[in-house]
Amino acid sequence: MIQLQKISKHYPVGFGKNEILKDVDLTIEEGEFVSIMGPSGSGKSTLLHILGLLEEPSAGQYLFQGERVDKMNEKKRTQLHRGAIGFVFQAYHLIDELTVYENIETPLLYKSLSGSERKSKVADVLDRFNMVAKKDLFPNQLSGGQQQLVGIARAIVAEPRVILADEPTGNLHSDQAKVIMELFKQLNEQDKITIIQVTHSDLNATYGNRIIQIRDGHIQG
Amino acid sequence: MWKNYFKIAVKNLLKRKLYAGINVFGLATAIACFVLLSLYLENEWTYDRWYKNVSELYRLRMDYGEKGEKLVQTAMTPNILATTIKGLPEVQKVVRVYHRDVSIRYENKSWNENRFIYADAPFFQLFSFPLKTGNAATVLNGPNMVVISASMAKKYFGDTDPVGKTLLINGNRSLQVTGVAADAPANTHLKFDFVASYSTLQLKEYWGSANYYTYVQVQQPAQLGTLQASLTAIGQQQLSDEERSNGTVLNFVPERVSDIHLHSVEADMTEEKGDVRYNYIFALIGGMLLIIACVNFMNLATARSTERSREVGVRKALGAQRGQLFWQFMMESALLTGIAMCIGLLLARLLLPAFNQLADVQLQMSGAGGYRIYFILVGVFFLVSFVTGIYPALFLSGFRPVQVLKGSQTATPQGRGIRQSLVVFQFAASIFFIICTLIVQRQMQYIQHKKLGLDRSEVLVLDGFKGNEQVLESLKGRLLQLSGVTQVTAAAESPVFIQGGYSIDHIEGRPQNYTMNINALPIEKDYLKTLGISLLSGEDLTHADIADILKEKSEERAYHFFLNETAVKKLGWTPEVAVGKRMMLNGRVGTVKGVTKDFHFASMKSKIEPIVVFPEYDWFQQIYVKTGGSNKQQVIAAIGALWKEVQPVAPFDYHFLDDDFNRMYKSEYRVGAVLGTFATLVMVVSCLGLLGLAALTTQQRTREIGIRKVLGASVTNVVAMLSKDFIKLVLVALLVAIPVAWFVGHNWLDAFAYHTSLSIWLFLMAGALAILVALLTVGLQSVKTATMNPVKSLRSE
Repeated sequence: MIQLQKISKHYPVGFGKNEILKDVDLTIEEGEFVSIMGPSGSGKSTLLHILGLLEEPSAGQYLFQGERVDKMNEKKRTQLHRGAIGFVFQAYHLIDELTVYENIETPLLYKSLSGSERKSKVADVLDRFNMVAKKDLFPNQLSGGQQQLVGIARAIVAEPRVILADEPTGNLHSDQAKVIMELFKQLNEQDKITIIQVTHSDLNATYGNRIIQIRDGHIQG
Repeated sequence: MWKNYFKIAVKNLLKRKLYAGINVFGLATAIACFVLLSLYLENEWTYDRWYKNVSELYRLRMDYGEKGEKLVQTAMTPNILATTIKGLPEVQKVVRVYHRDVSIRYENKSWNENRFIYADAPFFQLFSFPLKTGNAATVLNGPNMVVISASMAKKYFGDTDPVGKTLLINGNRSLQVTGVAADAPANTHLKFDFVASYSTLQLKEYWGSANYYTYVQVQQPAQLGTLQASLTAIGQQQLSDEERSNGTVLNFVPERVSDIHLHSVEADMTEEKGDVRYNYIFALIGGMLLIIACVNFMNLATARSTERSREVGVRKALGAQRGQLFWQFMMESALLTGIAMCIGLLLARLLLPAFNQLADVQLQMSGAGGYRIYFILVGVFFLVSFVTGIYPALFLSGFRPVQVLKGSQTATPQGRGIRQSLVVFQFAASIFFIICTLIVQRQMQYIQHKKLGLDRSEVLVLDGFKGNEQVLESLKGRLLQLSGVTQVTAAAESPVFIQGGYSIDHIEGRPQNYTMNINALPIEKDYLKTLGISLLSGEDLTHADIADILKEKSEERAYHFFLNETAVKKLGWTPEVAVGKRMMLNGRVGTVKGVTKDFHFASMKSKIEPIVVFPEYDWFQQIYVKTGGSNKQQVIAAIGALWKEVQPVAPFDYHFLDDDFNRMYKSEYRVGAVLGTFATLVMVVSCLGLLGLAALTTQQRTREIGIRKVLGASVTNVVAMLSKDFIKLVLVALLVAIPVAWFVGHNWLDAFAYHTSLSIWLFLMAGALAILVALLTVGLQSVKTATMNPVKSLRSE
């Protein structure tokens, strides 16, 4: 499903450059639950951003479902965001002005679904996550765990093929983290959604079926 | 989708009330001003342009003067000019207009009327003033006919039909009403209440006096070149061979009727001329206010970019395209603009009466041109929405999600340079208008306090006097007996309306053919004394002098002239030498009785010109009463009672001489008042923007301030730190504004022959004011943040 070939990423620093990723080769099959692990500054977030098309690689090829996306224009990239990729962030990144319901609805707006279709999809997700009672609350009225639940709900509402999660439990305590990880596992097993998460936690990594260790921009072993 | 944009826009506005409030309030103020100024300018620019055949209408101007001197230009022409040009092939119709202030009696009521004109028969064919009753071709085609305005019909006849009724003019002439015209609109220079047929006057036609406006409707296609040639030839014919060889000029020049209000030498007897420069200034203010309000909008929107960048990033990661975000932000500014527009229109409606008073106009929101303003406003709505939306929309929608989501770059303020330049621009504009206002006010003060050379205080002017010297003497004697009356005199006209068009010749010690153009005013014996005009040489008039001019036979009369200093200087005399010199004033033979110190009899826009005042008792229309004592009302009441007894026909109308003088500067007072008001508004709207910016900056720096306070910074340190940046901008604005304001102010003052100087204090004052206001605005915000408990601000981060 995802194939990275000799992907590099570097930023210009002064006269030289700061290499973040070097010749990364990586293949992820449909239905996998992958955990990317590594120390701070090893390049795992950058790798995730490249996978999520939020950043362009400096060199190398990226095939998503057999299609070259590393040189895609913004419009096509946006199409992929809408249809195939969902994001979950460490800091949740909910929109403060919108209610729970509206936050979840937002990706559907950009897919230009009709009002009634949106309504039923959001209702399904709310139902599934047991958040119907909270649908009219604003993000700041929720606990961190609840906010992250909304973040995941928002990520899956548009029925993506893959969810990219950047330390999804980094801001949560362990009980909440457990709930979130169980949810990911469920999404992976029942809904066959490919999940790629960046995490520091060995415990969280055990929920997945594959661990990729990254160090100084290289994939280990 | 659009519904969603709208919902988000509403939520965003409600969430940030200060931000939305500043934008809406600023924009609404600007739009209200824009509407009012547009109405004003619309009135100005449609002036005299609405007559059906306006492209064919001209008024003839008379230019005359001696060789080597500046030509005198006047819109007043001799009455025979119309008859002379009637036959020209280029001319279709000619109409003379002659103004008279009259008293009108109907049954047992009488009024003084000053919007009364005599005009030739085709008046209503030339000028398409709508007639409510009467036929435009025939209403004035015989003597003793008069057309009255609708409001006069109401005033004199109530609800009865005025046509066929008779009005008594000045107690001796009966005019029959033949038609009723709609009231003259605000945008015509011919604001009449009564138009009587010119043939009523049965005047001798000659070249000797120029008191008539001559209007021409030219044949189509207009042959202005040949018309001008014919007019020049007619002027030449009226000069003697001697004058021609001396290079004396007499010419007639057609001026478009549509140009009269703004570009002619004078507008009309009853109306001051407009000034196109003031129109530009008003247009500039209206536009500036709108721009400044838009700038506020853009500034605040981009300053908030850090706050909204996260939203943009998330939305993009969720699949929003740049275009969709662009429209979302555009929707927000359109919504704000729409709200501001509604409030602005409402404000304009509420403020219209006040504005009418301030600018001395009668404008209506729903008048003839009123509906046009709504079309303009629709345009303004789209323009303002676009302008205020486009920059933030492009700017914000361009954020790269990864930068934002990484959280690393959100803290750096974006677009700081542009924002600073915009603040500089706003403050430069504010300071510019403040300096302009100060200059206008200073000049007005200068005019008020400048020694005029005559004492106009407490002089009561009684209008509409009729009678010979016996009537005058008895009135004068009885007035002087009233307590509170110290002096009484009479003159043909107010000292501010002294007419040119006279000339002196046969001057002792000068060549026979030497003539000098001069202003002249016939006066009564005690004129100089009453108005406090002082003599440099010679003596004031005596009873014997008056007897000299009242002799039956004109050849026995001996005139006594008072020249002013300027006239004497121009003749090359000293005041002492001048006394006793013989000369002739338009056929009046006499000697110089004395020389007066120069006194201002015209606007300070022109230099004091040569003038001669001389006793002549045939023309008096105004009685001047110098009053003393405290109870003015009682004195006026006593004078009124006496007037009714002595002048039973003429109604008792009076005003103060001060008013005549102040009226000369009406448009300057007006522009001063309007400028002052709107300059304040420009400042207020600019400060609103600054307030918003300061609020945002301090909010963004809350953490920094907290850390500094923990490290030992005092409240003063923090306030100074926060204010410093803004004050720097105001200083830069000051540097930009001062040269421009100096240039404009200098130009404006140059239009006055007598004017105040541009002192450095003026500029310093404006600068100090701007800095003070900016400090207050920013300071309030800073103090609020600086006094906050640092623990709180640090914890909340």
